[in-house]
Amino acid sequence: MTDPVIQVKNLKKYYSVHQKEPGLLGSLKSLFKRKYYDVKAVDNVSFEIKEGELVGFIGPNGAGKTTTLKVLSGLLYPTSGQVSVLGFTPWERKSAYQKQFSIVMGQKNQLWWDLPAIESFILNKAIYEVPDAQFQKTLDELVDLLEVRDILKVQVRKLSLGQRMKMELIAALIHSPKILFLDEPTIGLDVVMQKKIREFIQEYNKRFNATIILTSHYMEDVKQLCERVIVIDHGTILFDGKLDEIIKKFASDKTLDVTFDGKVDLEKLKEIGKIESFEYPKATINVKRSKASEAATELLKKFQVADINITEPQIEDIIRQLFTNK
Amino acid sequence: MLSKFFIIFNASLQNEFTYRLNFILWRFRNVLRLLMTYFLWRGIFVNSPQVFGYDQSQILTYILLTLIVVSIVLSSPSGERIGEEIANGDLSNYLVKPLNYLRYWFIRDVASKILNLSFNILELSLLFLWLRPIVNLPNNLISIFGFVYAISIAVGIYFLLNASLRFFAFWSPENIWSIAFLTFVFLETLSGAVFPLDILPKTVQIGLQFTPFPYLIYYPIAIFLGKIQGLEIIRILIQSTIWLFLIFRFAQFIWKKGLKTYGAYGK
Ligand SMILES: Nc1ncnc2c1ncn2[C@@H]1O[C@H](COP(=O)(O)OP(=O)(O)O)[C@@H](O)[C@H]1O
Ligand SMILES: [Mg+2]
Repeated sequence: MTDPVIQVKNLKKYYSVHQKEPGLLGSLKSLFKRKYYDVKAVDNVSFEIKEGELVGFIGPNGAGKTTTLKVLSGLLYPTSGQVSVLGFTPWERKSAYQKQFSIVMGQKNQLWWDLPAIESFILNKAIYEVPDAQFQKTLDELVDLLEVRDILKVQVRKLSLGQRMKMELIAALIHSPKILFLDEPTIGLDVVMQKKIREFIQEYNKRFNATIILTSHYMEDVKQLCERVIVIDHGTILFDGKLDEIIKKFASDKTLDVTFDGKVDLEKLKEIGKIESFEYPKATINVKRSKASEAATELLKKFQVADINITEPQIEDIIRQLFTNK
Repeated sequence: MLSKFFIIFNASLQNEFTYRLNFILWRFRNVLRLLMTYFLWRGIFVNSPQVFGYDQSQILTYILLTLIVVSIVLSSPSGERIGEEIANGDLSNYLVKPLNYLRYWFIRDVASKILNLSFNILELSLLFLWLRPIVNLPNNLISIFGFVYAISIAVGIYFLLNASLRFFAFWSPENIWSIAFLTFVFLETLSGAVFPLDILPKTVQIGLQFTPFPYLIYYPIAIFLGKIQGLEIIRILIQSTIWLFLIFRFAQFIWKKGLKTYGAYGK
């Protein structure tokens, strides 16, 4: 129970990219002589994940999230480092491992476009050698959870993006994987559908004690779902821990939202802290975390204040700051 | 294992039927080609009982047979998909599953071939009922069995050649289409699909024996027509089987190399 099911140690994945010359002739030439440069997609990353955890991977585009998941799925060989998932080395692609995990990529689809989704489920049942009874039970359960019974027999190409994502999830889960990698599962979906998918992921995690890694650049996904997050940028981990600890660790400031009730001397106000916005009677002032209550007292003393609020910055803002400061 | 086969097979058939109009047009094209060929040759034979030393039934048999063999052997719709999937990265969908990619696409090819062959037979039967052409059928079982065996091997060889060719998408995803196109023109000619290879100079014919190409079209037809007989049939069949095996190893080799590249560069 406490043994980590996923262990990643000093993982590096550098893509060796060659400068391409255009055209057939160019590529013939480049068969013999190529110039290479390295893209450090994942650069010395280590983490461990325990059974049943639901971990969020966040980071801006190009941070290395997808690359990490691809290594874990056995699609990519690492440049160096050790990876063990359920005791397997992913890129050996043992079928015993493949039967125990699944990866869903928001931008890719595995369903047969021209057939109803149920046909793809049946195909996966055969590929993963799922017994009939188990297939029926799992299918029923997933179909009810996602409320898609009425569209099982509709050609996939006729489904909406959200409906399709639900079907993708079922296709990926029909063999009851213990480990699930979700790469931007809510990308492009409307807010309502995002919420539904999110709720499903949470329920699935709880009900089956499945270990899930979720990447997203919608903070909302991570905020709602994941107790633990791993923040990654430029291929390195900036933070790994409880979501609310990000605030304590990285937020240097707090924000005072003030509503005034009388005249305000702007010069005096500037002495309190950094004025983010001032639109009488409201002002927003940034102060050092440690000085927050002190500043509030001072405000009350020196100005006529109707209302004052001390707020933590939004996680989104902190993350954004983290990424832009790098 | 067997159920895997049937489920993939079944899904493929359903898939083929989704584009009904497409399918019907394709059949229509086939029937039209059949009829045009028939009437063209009948026209040629109106004034002369023999052309190139062949009589009408010999030529007709040869041409109908070539049409059928070409449509069975030189059709591998999966080849194009393999190239595409490697180039655009959809291959990843399969690689994370306990599934043999080549076998999967071979099953899908077989499904499509069986479908087309059934319609071929249907159309030909109608044609025969209507026009009653005179053709030469083999008069011994060895020729027929030899033909069926040769065709089966040819299907395997062509599938693997085609697939290996598409594997070059691992290294050159942008140019896979043009590479494939050039190769196929070359391959069809050397297989005997364009003209019977025995009109070539003897030395070229002998040289071609040491390539896999004539085993695709020329030899199956030659066996059916009785141009090759007795022990010679056995020799050809053994050679074609050896070719199948060699190309299978070749395809596997390229596939493994390709996967290494795919795993290193990603998609
Ligand atoms: N197949 C590839 N070849 C070369 N570079 C790649 C390849 N895939 C991704 N990269 C690069 O690696 C970095 C990480 O990409 P990725 O893992 O997709 O990030 P994320 O999923 O966090 O957006 C980016 O700079 C991206 O351009
Ligand atoms: Mg990504």
